[in-house]
Amino acid sequence: MARVELKNLSKAYQDVEVLHDINLTIEDGEFIVFVGPSGCGKSTLLRMIAGLENITGGDLLIDGALANSLSPKQRNIAMVFQSYALYPQMTVAENMGFSLSLERKSKAEIADKVNAAAESLQLTHLLKRKPGQLSGGQRQRVAIGRAIVRAPRVFLLDEPLSNLDAALRAETRVEISELHQRMKTTMIYVTHDQVEAMTMADRIVVLNGGYIEQVGSPMDLYNNPASEFVAGFIGSPKMNFVKGRYASALGAETVGIRPEHFDLGGGENAWEGEVSLVERLGHDTVLYVRVADAGPLTVSLSGQHSQQVGDRLHLMPKPEHVHRFNTEGRPLA
Amino acid sequence: MVARYALIFVLGIIAILMVSPLILTVFTSLKPTTELVNPAWYPPLDVTIDHYIRVWTEGGFNRYFFNTLLISIVDAAVMIVIASMAAYALVFLKFRGKIWIQILFLIGLMIPVTAIILPLYSIIRSIGLVNTHLGVILADLALAVSVFVFMFTSYFVGIPKALHEAARIDGATEFQIYRRVVMPIAVPAVVTTALLEFLWSWNDLLLRLLLLPRDEMRTLSVGLLNFQGTMTRDVTGLSAGTIIMAVPVVVLFLFFQRHFVRGMTQGAVK
Repeated sequence: MARVELKNLSKAYQDVEVLHDINLTIEDGEFIVFVGPSGCGKSTLLRMIAGLENITGGDLLIDGALANSLSPKQRNIAMVFQSYALYPQMTVAENMGFSLSLERKSKAEIADKVNAAAESLQLTHLLKRKPGQLSGGQRQRVAIGRAIVRAPRVFLLDEPLSNLDAALRAETRVEISELHQRMKTTMIYVTHDQVEAMTMADRIVVLNGGYIEQVGSPMDLYNNPASEFVAGFIGSPKMNFVKGRYASALGAETVGIRPEHFDLGGGENAWEGEVSLVERLGHDTVLYVRVADAGPLTVSLSGQHSQQVGDRLHLMPKPEHVHRFNTEGRPLA
Repeated sequence: MVARYALIFVLGIIAILMVSPLILTVFTSLKPTTELVNPAWYPPLDVTIDHYIRVWTEGGFNRYFFNTLLISIVDAAVMIVIASMAAYALVFLKFRGKIWIQILFLIGLMIPVTAIILPLYSIIRSIGLVNTHLGVILADLALAVSVFVFMFTSYFVGIPKALHEAARIDGATEFQIYRRVVMPIAVPAVVTTALLEFLWSWNDLLLRLLLLPRDEMRTLSVGLLNFQGTMTRDVTGLSAGTIIMAVPVVVLFLFFQRHFVRGMTQGAVK
């Protein structure tokens, strides 16, 4: 386990700076998720922590010790790659024990550790197979097993679920969370999927354009977004943003209302619109409503509802849940 | 259907054209001298291996064969090591001046052997390696290394970078990654390099003619010239010698054909 500190960290490729002045402390045993759109720098930041990318500016400290120029091995971290990166010529057991064999551990010790990790991930029956003979989910479990065997100080996971289908993704998400509960090791997880971030993280770091937009617990980010960007990125379906007369009436340049924060009906101030699409999910009903001067809005209603395409509705945003932003996209008090 | 038969017909003609010189040579090598008056495409009526025995013993092919085998095996083995290591560095390592080294290898691909054979001879002579197998091996490696670095580079770029990174994270040194992660994956490229370099070394005449003037150092390709005088030609000896020279290569190719084709086509389609 380890505490990881990023102090004024930056990364540049020649003259182009892609990460700017990153300051973050990741506590011992914490599960932290870097989230953001493609190209925001989250994977680069993870690779800098891993030692796969040079650090151009600032300091990286692991357990208080400067780690900028340490090799990946010296940092004692383990990483799970998006593409699994299993050695195709080796069996599952050999893949998992590779790092230990490089450390010249005895065969008995390697076998013990590999078997223990395999058992915890239900991989025991696959130990003699090669990666080519495994399914995507099994390969990902082997990649996680390879990381566990080393008992590293920090786990780094770079979009480990993005190659899996939806059902398997949800299942593996739970497994990784349970693994963290059991091991209590510091984990840094990169994803562009905000659902993964919300469901797994102790704290989420939202990155945008090479800057940290906000750091906080999932609910903190959901309830108190520090910018319009974070408000739009966190939450599914996405937050509605409304400008113009409706926003002015609420004293803001832009107002943000989450789809579940509308009431149907309302008085003379209600927003009137026409349903253009209905998604019936069973536990929720999602309506897409065209409102004049507000644009298309997404409205999520708990439970099953009977609205049809073409129906006219009156919507009323719940005042306590309206997020107001200024022209710079920052929240108004 | 007609197109299919036409294709088979054309392929059949090409196959016959390709294989007929080999068959005629086999026929000639197995014919007693008395049958040489018959047309070349007549099969031998009375099969004999006397010419093979004569070529092997009196013609010195026993010595030439082992000279050739030694040079070709060392050539192929050393080429695999140096070309793969160079390609590994070019693909997986970051270092200053990499682009210039790549350009040098590209230039090496473009220059024809005949254009540099005399300077190469001068270099080998200046270091006192004329009439040694080591001299020929060094010259062979220098002439062909660009081709095989290019081949290994094409193969290695198809290996996901994440594998190299995963091995670094696992604590492997660059040499351990090369030996334990990359090379086991590159078996088709290794087989292709081994076969091609062996084949080129086995069949080369020009360098060996220049660098190995002493009879006991000669190789099969030079030895074949013994059967070809200015005014005369020992057709049966020449044919038997040719078959002795061709058989190991054909056997090797048939044995490794699958790997060879995979190695040659690797990188063509992802």
